[in-house]
Amino acid sequence: MSENAQDLYKALSDAVVGMDEDRACELSIEAVERGFDAYTTIERGLVDGMGRAGDLFESEEYFIPELLLCSDAMYAGLDILRPHLKVEDANQQRFKVVIGVVEGDTHDIGKNLVKIMLEASGFDVIDLGRDIPAQKFVDTAVLEKADIIALSTLMTTTMDAMAEVVEKLHKNNLRESFKVIVGGGPISSAFAKRIQADGYANSAPNAVKLVKQLVGVPA
Amino acid sequence: MSAVDLMTPLERFAAFGKGEAIDRLPCVPIVGNTAARVIGVKVSQFRGNGRLIADAQIAAYRRFGYDVIRIFTDLYTQAEAMGARVHYPEDETAYLAEPAITSVEQIGSLEPADPRKDDNLPHHLEAMARTQDAVGREVPVNGALTGPFTTASFLIGTGTLVRLMLRNPEAVHRLCEVALQSSLAYAKAILETGCTPSLTDAMCSTTVISPRQFREFGQPYLKRLIDFIHTQGRAVTLHICGKTHAIWEQMCDTGADCLSIDNAADLAEAKAKVGTRARLMGNVSPSEVMLQGTPHAVRSAVRECVGKAHDNPKGLIVASGCSLAVETPFENIDAMLDSVRELGWPIQKRELEAAWTA
Repeated sequence: MSENAQDLYKALSDAVVGMDEDRACELSIEAVERGFDAYTTIERGLVDGMGRAGDLFESEEYFIPELLLCSDAMYAGLDILRPHLKVEDANQQRFKVVIGVVEGDTHDIGKNLVKIMLEASGFDVIDLGRDIPAQKFVDTAVLEKADIIALSTLMTTTMDAMAEVVEKLHKNNLRESFKVIVGGGPISSAFAKRIQADGYANSAPNAVKLVKQLVGVPA
Repeated sequence: MSAVDLMTPLERFAAFGKGEAIDRLPCVPIVGNTAARVIGVKVSQFRGNGRLIADAQIAAYRRFGYDVIRIFTDLYTQAEAMGARVHYPEDETAYLAEPAITSVEQIGSLEPADPRKDDNLPHHLEAMARTQDAVGREVPVNGALTGPFTTASFLIGTGTLVRLMLRNPEAVHRLCEVALQSSLAYAKAILETGCTPSLTDAMCSTTVISPRQFREFGQPYLKRLIDFIHTQGRAVTLHICGKTHAIWEQMCDTGADCLSIDNAADLAEAKAKVGTRARLMGNVSPSEVMLQGTPHAVRSAVRECVGKAHDNPKGLIVASGCSLAVETPFENIDAMLDSVRELGWPIQKRELEAAWTA
């Protein structure tokens, strides 16, 4: 058992970085049992650990497999802690991102990483999945009153589907309602500019920085 | 007015390999489904139609005059033959719809594919045989072979596979082993058509897995596959997408004779690191330059590649960094070949610079 709250947060953060899902669960249960604030435990334990994992990913000490296992540990802890959030913490207004892989493509690892890192950074993420028609992005963003639409593809054949989303927004006079960001293997800043997206990021950690910049949250 | 080719691709490669005079550097815009555009058919018509794939690939070769024909439609043919479900859009490249299995317990149910019977494999073999018969005396005809680790990822799903690498490595080895058995059988069948297998192991990229994971799960299976192809007297090209600089040495350790590298990697760096061990092939961006760029951008990119690696000890093949997108403009493919023709051989540094600034 951890001596005090600080130790527990640190141990929980370490469990996430160490890809130790069981340990993350144990510590999250312990936090609940000892009456620690769920929000603080999430922020200083789970989210802190995922942030450190993201740093290791950026410095190429961690790769996709490690990052996914860290996120498994984070989500396992979140499942335990979330029901114990105070009402005002649980209902806190957060910026909302609708994310998905565009129609014609099923490669979703990149999209999943961006989703994980966004959630770990306090964004609400609505994950539509893969092979998603343009209209679905628009409809969901409207319905959910999203701030950001994030589009992913790994294939050159489906890049045009990204442009289609932007065009649909234009046609429906919704272009100013959402920021659109794009990413994936064949995508570049030049491409993002050409289809009039609001931004491009070349990695999941950079996607978080980009989203923060677009909605005006300090990095 | 561009220079004309004076040698056939086979003559060019033979002389190039011996260090003799050639008319120009070998050049390979990696044409896959773009071949459908050359004969005006839809990509989905290639499914189950070896004769049409051959017709398209032969027509594309004749249209552009590049140096290797590669019979390729998508990476999923072997995984599909082992039970994965592939979706075929009407006129775009196919993609994986569902992996063959969803859990470790099902690995035992997987069987190596029979290349003579299963799904699209016999049709691809037919395309290889027909192409080899038609033009194999003038140009190398390769049969695309997906690497065992990548096929394993299509068999159980990438997310599951990468987690298993850390949680249950033994299960991953079992998957790679059964994928390897498929690859070996398919490689043998490809060799029997007279073609040479050419390997792609996309998921081995360090964009996805670590160099240590490549050493454990990628390299050993590639090595066994390449060892087999070498026993049949053929040189092997290995393509890995995305970032690869940290695994070039290991890619050479597989025995690969030529490394085909993505535009996410640097040819000058590759030359410095492994140029004495392997021929290099690359690496004009298939997306930014070949698909979206102008012929002028293609020329600059070709010159950059040539400038960086024409003096690679084991040689350079000017190529796209990956397979071309279906809609790649023909004038960009022509521009790639034409700029290599204009530069000629031996490469004059002065010309390279002059041409660059022109």
